[in-house]
Amino acid sequence: MSSEWILDKNHLSYWLRQLRKEADLIGPLRKPGGDIVFESIERIHEIFLDLPALIPGPKEFLFPQYEKLFNKRDSKVEELSIKRKRVVFGVRSCDVSAVRLLDRFFLDRFEDPFYSNRRANTLLISIVCNNPEPTCFCAGIGTGPYLREDYDIQLTDLGERYLVQAASKQGIRAIKAYSFIFSKPTRTDYDDQFEVQLSAMARFQKRISLERVRSMIITGKVRDTFWEKVATRCFECGGCVYECPLCTCFTVIDRVFGDEIERARIWDACLFKGFTRLAGGVLPNERMVMRTKRWYYHKLVHYPEVIGSFGCVGCGRCTIVCPAKIDMATVAIKIKALADNEEKIIEQKE
Amino acid sequence: MKRRSSNRKNNIYLPIKGRIESIVPLTEDVNFYRIRSEKPLSYGVGQFFMVSVWGYGEVPISVCSLPEKPEILELSIRKVGFVTNAIHRLKEGDELWFRGPYGRAFPMELSINRDVILIAGGIGLAPLRAAIHWLIKHRKKVRHISLLYGAKTPSQLLYREEFTQWEKEGIKVVLTVDSPEDGWTANIGVVTTLWHHIDVDFKRAVAYICGPPVMINASMLDLYRFGMPLSNIITTLEAHMKCGVGKCGHCYASEKYICTDGPVFSYEEIKRYRLL
Ligand SMILES: Cc1cc2nc3c(=O)[nH]c(=O)nc-3n(C[C@H](O)[C@H](O)[C@H](O)COP(=O)(O)OP(=O)(O)OC[C@H]3O[C@@H](n4cnc5c(N)ncnc54)[C@H](O)[C@@H]3O)c2cc1C
Ligand code: SF4
Ligand code: SF4
Ligand code: FES
Repeated sequence: MSSEWILDKNHLSYWLRQLRKEADLIGPLRKPGGDIVFESIERIHEIFLDLPALIPGPKEFLFPQYEKLFNKRDSKVEELSIKRKRVVFGVRSCDVSAVRLLDRFFLDRFEDPFYSNRRANTLLISIVCNNPEPTCFCAGIGTGPYLREDYDIQLTDLGERYLVQAASKQGIRAIKAYSFIFSKPTRTDYDDQFEVQLSAMARFQKRISLERVRSMIITGKVRDTFWEKVATRCFECGGCVYECPLCTCFTVIDRVFGDEIERARIWDACLFKGFTRLAGGVLPNERMVMRTKRWYYHKLVHYPEVIGSFGCVGCGRCTIVCPAKIDMATVAIKIKALADNEEKIIEQKE
Repeated sequence: MKRRSSNRKNNIYLPIKGRIESIVPLTEDVNFYRIRSEKPLSYGVGQFFMVSVWGYGEVPISVCSLPEKPEILELSIRKVGFVTNAIHRLKEGDELWFRGPYGRAFPMELSINRDVILIAGGIGLAPLRAAIHWLIKHRKKVRHISLLYGAKTPSQLLYREEFTQWEKEGIKVVLTVDSPEDGWTANIGVVTTLWHHIDVDFKRAVAYICGPPVMINASMLDLYRFGMPLSNIITTLEAHMKCGVGKCGHCYASEKYICTDGPVFSYEEIKRYRLL
């Protein structure tokens, strides 16, 4: 189910203003200090689309860093679930791909009601990345720079107009209600889209095949000495985990405010030493290398086995935040170099 | 992008209210709790509940009873840290909240027409107590039953008052401790020194094991050497758990969420996934 239209850029703010009447409109804003944040949009013209490489992902809107779950007073427990309607504008393709995987994680088996409520009420409007950042490597994974399916609404910037594609009921509804500002795409529009996509693909500076890396790992070609080297560099800051749109570990805390008790969940990180601590202080993953391996194995080996996709969408955030330069892309490139070396050695032997 | 229509009946994180009907101290640091639930419960042997004290948090605790009376839940809780200390401060009549049951249950049907060996260390007898009650209930369908149970000291053995009853039901109870106290006449040493006390056909028997990881490992290895099929050696693993439903990530180990894929695993699975 995909339907396509053309939206003149002059009509974008009208459209967003209409959408804001039914939902909280969230989009990228530039703060006075220069930081980009995704926030409720008061004035449409303030939406800032010239995004830098490191932007906050939509994870925050579906699975916030600090999320209140329950409030207890006397013997009554109140469920603090958010059901407010939201439109998140300006999301990147890789982040939409990440949400698709989060859906499977949070909604399969035991359905997470807090995620589910937020998700059911969130419409994502993503914009094709015509100009990928040097840190991006979604193209090799198939999670960007544009999406073929499974998005809500996807915009492709064609200069003075957008090609608008909708692939969900909610997305189509958000367009059909204002159909008078949307027109039918022509052959030229599709030609332009094709050109933009080609040029975007050509601009990637990083070409990484996680499949290659995965097969190296599962065939035992990546030794523990390699992981030891990676692990000794880690500062255990957790930056990669917090930034990653697919890292979902959390801890639960109770806080007492007078006669009210709040139970909340907050982001946690498997890279922290105490993460698996058992009563009595036993630490199953005491050595850093075990935690580093756990992170990489989870994303590169177990995710594909359990969910059928990598636990990485190639957004490059960990590359930007990791002070130790042991992020996904760097590690993947190093592992690939091991593979290339091995091939050379084999060739020499032959 | 498809939105899944919500199929949930209730919030998986929302605990239900229970009341502590009675507390029996079992050892210096383990209490037995009989809890009356607001709603009827059903659970299997080896499953666990997330037990919560508001203001402190939630901890995973195995049930040590059978769901004979649907509103009653029995737990044995050792005081070791933040939440378990808060539980130990509660009195009869106080609220104790919980949600569950979670995890895979012990495959009790494996014991039908077989010899059964139960191996426990310390607090590990708690989930196996439910297994013992199950075996007693199905006594006619099960062959020899032996319990090998070890603790640090004699006074740290749980359910001492129930041993005679169990023996009456034809269960061979073999006890051992690390350090004896006055009047101790049974064994001294680890549980894996007790094999000669029991007369079982290891190749056709089934074992249920619960205790500290070293004990689990040593027992599984011995049983395997004695020729017990890997899939008949059953144990339950401990992990740090914050949710019990496969979301928080704390219990994740080698591709498996101990909370939902376990905590009960066969030796065959433990080897395959390198869980211990
Ligand atoms: C499947 C399963 C079944 C189990 N069955 C049983 C059983 O039947 N009986 C039994 O006795 N035990 C059982 N256990 C073990 C039991 O769950 C642990 O002993 C218990 O979780 C310890 O919790 P604690 O808070 O008392 O300990 P702690 O070690 O203090 O802490 C555990 C958690 O509390 C948090 N915490 C600690 N201190 C603070 C603080 N000051 N502020 C905020 N948070 C804090 C920690 O971050 C940690 O997450 C079982 C475990 C599992 C996995
Ligand atoms: S592992 Fe790094 S590049 Fe991959 S999705 Fe997570 S933050 Fe982005
Ligand atoms: S960002 Fe880098 S240094 Fe920080 S925890 Fe992640 S891998 Fe370690
Ligand atoms: S306890 Fe949270 S994932 Fe298992």
